[in-house]
Amino acid sequence: MIFRRWRERRRNLPSPDELLPPEGVALTLPIAGVGVRLGAQITDIIITLVAAICVVVLLLALDITGPQTIFVIGTLIFFLIRTPYYVLAELAWNGQTLGKRLMKIKVVSHDGGSLSAHAIVLRNLMKEAEVFLPATLLLTLDSASPIASILSLGWITVGLLVPIMDRYRRRLGDMMAGTHVIHLPVPLLLKDLASEAPAYGEKKQKFKFLTHQLDHYGAFELQTLETLLRSQSNPQSSSAAKQRDATIEAIVERIRKKIGYADPVPHADRVRFLKAFYNAQREHLEQRQLFGDRRENKHYAQSGEET
Amino acid sequence: MSLDRQDLSGTASGTLSPQPGSSGNGGQNGNGQELMRSARFRQEREADWRRLEWLVLEAERKGLQRMGFADARDLASLYRQATTSLAIAREISLDKALLAYLEALTARAYLCVYAPQERLGGLVSRFLSHGAPQAMRRCWFYVLLGFLCMGLGVLAGYLLYFENTDWFYVFMPEELAGGRGPDATNDYLRSVIYDQDPESSGLGAFATYLFSHNTRIAIFVFGLGVFACFPAALLTFYNGLGLGAFYALHVERGLGFDLGGWLSIHGVTELSAICIACGGGLKLGVAMLFPGDLSRAESLRLAGRDAVKLALVAAIMLIAAALLEGFGRQLVQDMTTRYLIGWGVGGLWLAWFLLGGRSRR
Repeated sequence: MIFRRWRERRRNLPSPDELLPPEGVALTLPIAGVGVRLGAQITDIIITLVAAICVVVLLLALDITGPQTIFVIGTLIFFLIRTPYYVLAELAWNGQTLGKRLMKIKVVSHDGGSLSAHAIVLRNLMKEAEVFLPATLLLTLDSASPIASILSLGWITVGLLVPIMDRYRRRLGDMMAGTHVIHLPVPLLLKDLASEAPAYGEKKQKFKFLTHQLDHYGAFELQTLETLLRSQSNPQSSSAAKQRDATIEAIVERIRKKIGYADPVPHADRVRFLKAFYNAQREHLEQRQLFGDRRENKHYAQSGEET
Repeated sequence: MSLDRQDLSGTASGTLSPQPGSSGNGGQNGNGQELMRSARFRQEREADWRRLEWLVLEAERKGLQRMGFADARDLASLYRQATTSLAIAREISLDKALLAYLEALTARAYLCVYAPQERLGGLVSRFLSHGAPQAMRRCWFYVLLGFLCMGLGVLAGYLLYFENTDWFYVFMPEELAGGRGPDATNDYLRSVIYDQDPESSGLGAFATYLFSHNTRIAIFVFGLGVFACFPAALLTFYNGLGLGAFYALHVERGLGFDLGGWLSIHGVTELSAICIACGGGLKLGVAMLFPGDLSRAESLRLAGRDAVKLALVAAIMLIAAALLEGFGRQLVQDMTTRYLIGWGVGGLWLAWFLLGGRSRR
């Protein structure tokens, strides 16, 4: 009961992927999951650890440190390397460390504003408190003090649980600094289907659709058809091609039946028919949308009656 | 025939002329038909989007600071145009590929335009000159509470020891006492205070002391503050108990003044750091317990700004204390000098907190 109410409330919240920049047009920036971030974190730890080990070996070679203090000095040098590394890397690469660049994720300001240096410093110092300090304690403590070991272990667990429970997958440091981590989107402009599709068939006959024939589908169906037509250009093996032919035939027949398109579509013309239908349908739906009649999917008529 | 035309139209729309505003082949497709509205919309703006895409890549590669003036200006204005395009496209276009592209392009450009512009050096000097002392003054009450927890602990430990010396074993962890206890001889206690062991000085000692008992206490005291203040206050009090009992042991043997010097040289700084860390923890705990009109997360975030500054101050002080302990304590054997250094450094901290970051009038 309580769980269901909680889920209801969660559903009513805006999507966590949305970010509102000062320009006021919401952008979709998908939240990076815990796994990806852990991967980036491990990469960064390996990089800084290797650097620290190099320095320690150098110190040993120069005879500055002895074997009895090697562990504490190593810890100190690791600390002195990794803390500036995170802050400087995120400042220099605009919210990305090397590990984050590898995983193609990025820190952004939670409120959509500019990412400030203060936020970057704060979230990385909190990383020290959240992860590294308890981890160091866990390593340096011995079995003589089990309470402290359990405490630091509990601390790390809580630190890991916080991002799992949070909608935005934020660490405690992220919450304090007001940041979260997103996947970097890749802009890829595909060809506009509407600018190339022919309205003619093989024998130069024109596919014509009447207005009532275009009233059956909504945006969802249109965009599904778009995806199918786009995948058309990918080269495929013969068996896959055969399967795709069958799919296209089924779709063409389905559409013809649904919209009541009387003329039979010959085999060679099927894709052209679909493209022509896509064009006509998109033009029609976009026109309806301009008049305030937004059709999400083919059930638009029913949902309109309900509201 | 129609196939050829299709190919032609494909290449025509793929290689648009780069001038913005020139709409390729006059808003028509290869078949000589008028394009639909959303396709025309795209055709008119595509060149600008391509340029923005290139500018974004450039900015990510080189950084905004190293871009030419014209490029940086174009990046900002094209980004704003792209947000407008995105808003319009969401209304008029049902082309999924176009929407996804614009969405990604605008997001990438947004990340470039709103990149951090500050320098790190300015941030550090600002923290040292205003941020930290102002935060200390804002949180004076919590810091005072931290000192109070420690002070009461010392007092309780001190009095309890004189009631029954066995309390020493309860309060003082074995490994910390290092053989010093009610059973130890006077000479042994004195030898620890005035020990001149060159082996335990220098970098190794510095690192060892930095990760010593008190640093752990400071970290725990700060971190545990979030859990409703209680553990932080308790741990500080417990730490004070140990200290009180330890001091009482030396007072009983007539070594109180000497121990004071031994502790002062780094202890003034180190114990203050623990109390300040405790103050930061208490601040977080109070924000958790009494969020007022805010949500708990929001209240914690607001309190966190000052609390983190307190923690940073404590960290700086702990490092200074480790330096004093690692180098100073072995080199300076004279009692008065020890007092002088310890309390002198303490006075410097106090001056920083009280006088730093005040605006001149």
